Amino acid sequence: MSTASTTSSSGRSGGPPRATVRRRLARWRARLTFDRVSFMLVFLGLPVAIFVVFVLIPVCEALFYSLTDWTGFSSTMNVVGFANFSKLAHDDIFVHAVRNNVLLAVVVPIVTLSMAFAIAVVVTMGGPATGSVRGIRGAGVYRIVSFFPYAVPAIVIGLIWAQVYDPAAGLLNGVLTGAGADRFTDFAWLGEVLSAMPASMFVIIWGSVGFYTVLFIAAIKGLPAEIYEAARLDGAGRFRTAVSITVPLIRDNVQTAYIYLGILALDAFVFMQALNPGGGPDNSTLTMSQYLFTTAFRKGQFGYATAMGVVLAIITLLFATIVFLVNYLTGGRERRIHG
Amino acid sequence: MTQEPRQPDQHGPFGRRTFLRGALTAAALVPLAGPLAACSSPSGGGSGSSSGPKSATNPFGLKDGSSVEAVIFNGGYGYDYVTFATTQVKKQKGFEGVKFKVSPSTQIAQELQPRFAGGNPPDLIDNSGAGIIGFNTIADQLETLDDVFAADNYEGTKIEDTLYPNAKATGTYDGRFVGLNYVMTLYAVWYSASLFEENGWTPPKTWDEALDLGAKAKAKGKHLWVWGKEAATYYRTLAIDSAAKEGGDEVRLALENLEPKAWSHPAIQGVFKVLGEMVKQQMFVPGGAGTQFTAAQAKWSNDQQALLYASGSWIENEMKKATKSGFKMTGFPEMTLTDNPKMPYESLRAAAGEGYIVPTKAKNPAGGKEILRAMLSKQAATNFTKTRLAPTIVKGTIPSDGFGSTALLSQSKMLDAAGSNVFNYQFYDYYGLDADQLVVWNSFLSGHTDVAGLTKGMQEISDKVANDSSVKKLKIT
Repeated sequence: MSTASTTSSSGRSGGPPRATVRRRLARWRARLTFDRVSFMLVFLGLPVAIFVVFVLIPVCEALFYSLTDWTGFSSTMNVVGFANFSKLAHDDIFVHAVRNNVLLAVVVPIVTLSMAFAIAVVVTMGGPATGSVRGIRGAGVYRIVSFFPYAVPAIVIGLIWAQVYDPAAGLLNGVLTGAGADRFTDFAWLGEVLSAMPASMFVIIWGSVGFYTVLFIAAIKGLPAEIYEAARLDGAGRFRTAVSITVPLIRDNVQTAYIYLGILALDAFVFMQALNPGGGPDNSTLTMSQYLFTTAFRKGQFGYATAMGVVLAIITLLFATIVFLVNYLTGGRERRIHG
Repeated sequence: MTQEPRQPDQHGPFGRRTFLRGALTAAALVPLAGPLAACSSPSGGGSGSSSGPKSATNPFGLKDGSSVEAVIFNGGYGYDYVTFATTQVKKQKGFEGVKFKVSPSTQIAQELQPRFAGGNPPDLIDNSGAGIIGFNTIADQLETLDDVFAADNYEGTKIEDTLYPNAKATGTYDGRFVGLNYVMTLYAVWYSASLFEENGWTPPKTWDEALDLGAKAKAKGKHLWVWGKEAATYYRTLAIDSAAKEGGDEVRLALENLEPKAWSHPAIQGVFKVLGEMVKQQMFVPGGAGTQFTAAQAKWSNDQQALLYASGSWIENEMKKATKSGFKMTGFPEMTLTDNPKMPYESLRAAAGEGYIVPTKAKNPAGGKEILRAMLSKQAATNFTKTRLAPTIVKGTIPSDGFGSTALLSQSKMLDAAGSNVFNYQFYDYYGLDADQLVVWNSFLSGHTDVAGLTKGMQEISDKVANDSSVKKLKIT
């Protein structure tokens, strides 16, 4: 090309010479075949339009509503600035709900992922020490059984367990008192401050373990068998293999699973609404989303409720950032350099 | 030149990790969009009220051939009684061609919020149930309903003259009568007349007698009360009613106006103290804070583990399928502290429930009002009482056999005995405080907090609203 010196990065004032512009336009036009245009419309234009209409605009609207005193049931509202947010900071019930959510986001992923990882390891490589690396006998059955709870909708899980926890007619107290533990007669699992949160967490974990087991099994099966054979030849036991070989290799999956579970725990609306719609004894299981819901629809304070939603979103983003950061600082970055 | 060399990226410009990260960010944004997905943006909307000429037989100017839309809370009373009323409207001369659409809903606030915000609400709404729209948010968007009461019913009598007293007061906010509460609800203590007869017990009139009865119940291996986690506040209602009878209007008004120290009134404290004593003596069936409320109620109506239950008169209908046969459910007025309370023992908290509203922005408000007129006429009102075993605000629809229901009969008797000594209060529904108060009451009834903790908790909930300048306050005198 004759104007090879004219690079696109030139900061020259006046822009490139007219000839270049013409040539560029021509080339651009030449590339606009029907094929290309229709491809761009369907695969770029449509998703962007959907994203703008259903994500960007609602998010911007939400940000705006959080600055108003909108009741939700009228067509008028006043902008009140950051009043809703300063009110939130002094709302002891909301602060309590944030604490509950943070507790959920810390405990639920750790327990769920540890259990899921343990099951996945046993199912994929807990088998005999001779021959190829494989799972224990009947691995397929365990895999399917552990996935069962995930196939049940969350709301149904919540309702079932609410019945199981019933003080008088519940299965749990029936088994416990039947086994001679009389102090559990009429014990309200969801009605005592000490037990309500652990009992609710157990239900969420029970409902999620199966999915993450399957996720980890898939990840482990994708790893080359030679690595395991080499480890075994070097004398590594099953536990050592799981901790030193498997965990580092499926690191990305663990991180993704952790974030998804954390988001689930920060929301937790469906489970909590089914188990303890009122927020539990002394608000010990109240989540931000439940409080948001009450504030919006029962108290008719949509502006204030939206401010809660904004705070929830910020906390969720913070959580994701922290998980990325921890993963990065604890060695995730080395693999990226080689990757 | 413009043909720049590609970045040497084996994953291409949109690598797997970048994609994963993007997907996660998008997922993290979901909660932000969440509250919005649930609601809808406001937009203007004109009031397109199309009414025709008014007359004595067509008091609201309903046009023949127009269509009317009603959304009815589908709870304990169902919604087909409104459909029945619309057939009554169609029997009237000049309304044969009116088209009605009656739809049920169990979540009034969630379902209708977008329509209120969008300016096209239905013509008639039964604003009730757990999903009730707080009146403080919509009161100024509603038609006043004075003209419904001023109109003649289908028998030719002025509607106002056929109703129980206080029918208007319960739906009046800031001096505007906007909520027509249709079903007469009274609050009482309920028991099984047959069980009491068997054991030679009598319903207690004072709290001391109740304590004695509790001791007798214990001797029989039974409890005095039972509560469920979503209904712990029924005992708040019992306490307020009892204290209001004992101490007169000042108790009720202080609570209504969210006054500081309202919960420290001696009458309220007196009742709290007895309740605290009952909790201490385990007169409540244990575990209520973890029991679903209808399951808890069945422990009273079916298993007879508890002798008494404090509730509104919907209890018979609610527990219809879980009541022991031969139970003979009967109500009696709530206990007082002393033998000479400021209001007579027979006084009742009686208020109409199922608040019907007609939005100003509805397309055909005249149609909504015409349905109300039909519902308040003899035929539809009797149909309701007969099929739902609950009185409406229309007097004289209960025959002396109570359609075979002891509970309905006792309601009728209590209402007659109370006469004009009926009262009501609205603060916890109006400000939507029930959810917050439930927490405090569950903890009190489980024995985790004492009377002082209960008082403090209730006062804090009141104070929070009282000090919140963004909440429009109601002034009750």
